[in-house]
Amino acid sequence: MTASFEPSPRPQAAAPAVAAHHLIKHFGDLEVLKGVSLEVEEGTVTSIIGSSGSGKSTLLRCMNLLERPDRGELAIADEAIRFTRNPQGDIVGLDRRQLQRLRAKVTMVFQQFNLWPHLSVLGNVIEAPMRVKGLSRRRATAIGEHYLERVGMADRRDAYPAFLSGGQQQRVAIARALAMEPRLLLFDEPTSALDPERVNEVLGVIRDLADEGRTMLLVTHEMHFAREVSDQLVYLDQGRIAASGSSQDVFDDPRCRRFVAPAA
Amino acid sequence: MDFSWLSDPFYQEYLWEGFVNTLWLLAVSAVGGLILAVGVALARLRGPRPLAWLALAFTTVIRGTPLLVQLFFFYYGVGRLLEGVPGIRESAFWPLLRDPFFFGALTFILSVGAYSGEVIRGAMQSVPRGELEAGRAFGLSGVQVLTRLWLPRAIQLCLPTLTGEMILLLKSVPLVSTIALMDLLQAANIIRDETFLVYEPLLLIAGIYLATTIVLTLGLRLVELNFPGMRPTRRRWLPIR
Repeated sequence: MTASFEPSPRPQAAAPAVAAHHLIKHFGDLEVLKGVSLEVEEGTVTSIIGSSGSGKSTLLRCMNLLERPDRGELAIADEAIRFTRNPQGDIVGLDRRQLQRLRAKVTMVFQQFNLWPHLSVLGNVIEAPMRVKGLSRRRATAIGEHYLERVGMADRRDAYPAFLSGGQQQRVAIARALAMEPRLLLFDEPTSALDPERVNEVLGVIRDLADEGRTMLLVTHEMHFAREVSDQLVYLDQGRIAASGSSQDVFDDPRCRRFVAPAA
Repeated sequence: MDFSWLSDPFYQEYLWEGFVNTLWLLAVSAVGGLILAVGVALARLRGPRPLAWLALAFTTVIRGTPLLVQLFFFYYGVGRLLEGVPGIRESAFWPLLRDPFFFGALTFILSVGAYSGEVIRGAMQSVPRGELEAGRAFGLSGVQVLTRLWLPRAIQLCLPTLTGEMILLLKSVPLVSTIALMDLLQAANIIRDETFLVYEPLLLIAGIYLATTIVLTLGLRLVELNFPGMRPTRRRWLPIR
């Protein structure tokens, strides 16, 4: 059954998978993002690093609009998000249909895995392809099995999440995100909730995906790993990009040396 | 103890009819009530403000007044009021509107809607937010998140409590004997009046209620155990150590 599925070739577009321009986000009086611009090129890996509270996760969550920015522009897969704005230019709403369509192209792996406990491993992986992309169960299952194989979880396809270790759950969550065949994969601190001995099995999967040339945006505290896999590194400090560029540039930048030094 | 009346086919028929009516009333009220309960829970959690207030008022009134008073209110109050509506006796609904079963079911549906509505609301609130967020992040619509993720998870969480609500409902059913509906208690009352035996019919129907409760409990326990994703440590037939 697994053999019946070949992953579709990724588009060779030069346009960025996601482009954010001057995002501003408040939580009450607290300004979490103070005008952040970020582009992720097709086929590259970008990591966002920074201390807790720097706005990393908020920035990532703006990329699939789990958080709605208060100001700024956002384009996903060449398509500008149609925000509704008030006369002052503040974002007050968005087009739900467009949002659902674009979210199918940008999938996410969460810190707490967030698998659906009442669905089996395979059920978790085929849910969105069936309900959102409208694939038949047969087709979704073929795709799902392919990606479960890919993360080494094919033999547990009928198990339920409660019966899996944290590392296994996160690998299933990665397969769930891959099964949508997204343009962009978002990772929100994917190893922060794992036991230390489980971290490497998940990092290994993510590294393989990077080597495959998948477009990914990661928020991570794993400095060595970020440096190793990233084409672009973004150092976020108090809601602003303090430094960005190649791993080497950022790690050598005096402004973030203090932050990255312990790991470097 | 004199159980000789049990061989009388008339009494057998009364008891059988009472048992069937009891089960029917239980089933109709459970299904209708749980559907209403989901609506009440949703109105409280996600409804526009007036609807949320209405749901709260409904819950407060139903839970704050005796079930027997509600039953009388609907049967003798609303029922008699409806009689005065011109043309209603000729309408197709009339057989329904003078049927005590209709008013019994209506009362119990509202009751289950209020009590279980609160149970379901609590369960919906305790579903981890991340699971629903994951649904939205993958592009599921609001309705899909509700029907595929939120409700199944909430029901999984409150199934043992809902089982308790259904058992309470079964034992509220004899209240309808007061509005001349032939349930088990009404059958027992008739037998008592005609044979002058007080304890024997009551003992018999108490046994029937007990047996029904046990079957109901085990059946719902079976549903609970077979709910997808249950943790292995909770897979015990009897919920005791």
